[in-house]
Amino acid sequence: MLLFVLVTGPAVARAQWLNYPTPGIPRLANGAPNLKAPAPRTTEGKPDFSGMWFANVPSRDFCKEKDCIQEERMAREQINLGIKLKDGLPYTEWSKEQMKTRRANGGREDPHAYCMPPNFPRAWTLPQHSRIVQTPGMMVVLHEFNAAYREVYLDGRPLPVNPNPTWNGYSTGHWEGDTLVIETNGIRDDMWLDIQGSPVTESARVTERLKRVNFGLMQIEIAVNDPKAYTKPWSVTIEMALIADTQMLEEICMDNEKDTRLYKK
Amino acid sequence: MRTRLSPLSAFVGLCLVLVPSAWAHHSQSEYDLRGKVEVEGAVTKVEWRSPHAWIYVDAINDKGGTVNWSFELPSPVTLMRRGWTRDSLKPGDRVKVTGAPAKNFPTIAIANFITDSSGKPLFTGTTQIHEPEPESKEPR
Repeated sequence: MLLFVLVTGPAVARAQWLNYPTPGIPRLANGAPNLKAPAPRTTEGKPDFSGMWFANVPSRDFCKEKDCIQEERMAREQINLGIKLKDGLPYTEWSKEQMKTRRANGGREDPHAYCMPPNFPRAWTLPQHSRIVQTPGMMVVLHEFNAAYREVYLDGRPLPVNPNPTWNGYSTGHWEGDTLVIETNGIRDDMWLDIQGSPVTESARVTERLKRVNFGLMQIEIAVNDPKAYTKPWSVTIEMALIADTQMLEEICMDNEKDTRLYKK
Repeated sequence: MRTRLSPLSAFVGLCLVLVPSAWAHHSQSEYDLRGKVEVEGAVTKVEWRSPHAWIYVDAINDKGGTVNWSFELPSPVTLMRRGWTRDSLKPGDRVKVTGAPAKNFPTIAIANFITDSSGKPLFTGTTQIHEPEPESKEPR
């Protein structure tokens, strides 16, 4: 990291709040965030998930002699959400046909490629950051891509019946001990879960089980029960790392999208 | 040397590519990820905008003519988190860029490695998602 700063030092020092210390977080003697500290709790005694999060991908440096630069950090689940499942995701015949078409077209119908909103749970794996803002009655998840938001109601309301489908659906959360269980329905019928085009549809019930292992780490078990797209319910667990001492940075995709033109010739 | 990939293998076989490459918000099937271009020249323009920064580089081709190459980079947000600013590259800066060419456009590529004129690395893509993944499955 020191070498990285040496390569890029003056630029880092003058960037807006990219390196501004987050107040009120546990720190080590050297001033670095203490990521192994216990998970914080709300005044009600529940785990507090508030903070900025990014896929827990190790940072790696590429070095050429004394000059080092940091590699990009990307979650493999961004390509295939079921990458850690021994047999992969249990696609239905309908899904297989969808995937076949999507592969044959090189993934060019991916809504994300066309700057559509970051749909959860896929959004957890994208290369932009999320910020959780937790209050007693609601968790809000902000996402840098297209400056998007998602609401998770914690006030005990039921999921809606036959809701108008949306990109992120409708989410409620309840506590099971220290685990926040988020249930979602009302997802649009044409959503993708990853770059290879794994579908999720209007028939889905998605359950995300959030555990804050310690200050710096959150585990999310993503369980999908979608009989249109999958022959049986399945679940995967992803890890998110807390990102401290920085800020959210907006990334408005339609600002200068130029990749889709490359598909058209 | 360029080797063509079928859309299927380019799409699913990304995990087998061991070279670093800049990652995008989509499948990258518009690029020949096993192909390689190397361009050395002067930056003519920098587009510091989402969802991807682009740099344009004038290079001399085999016939002595000037060709203006377009290179896709990650988003400015991603680059800023790795120490770049909008001023890190400016028109006139000399760079050497290695990348994967667009399949259908002869002077467009996605950058995976950039050095300055002294050879100091300025940018590299990722190898992390490209490592072999034995348990990875194609859809059944």
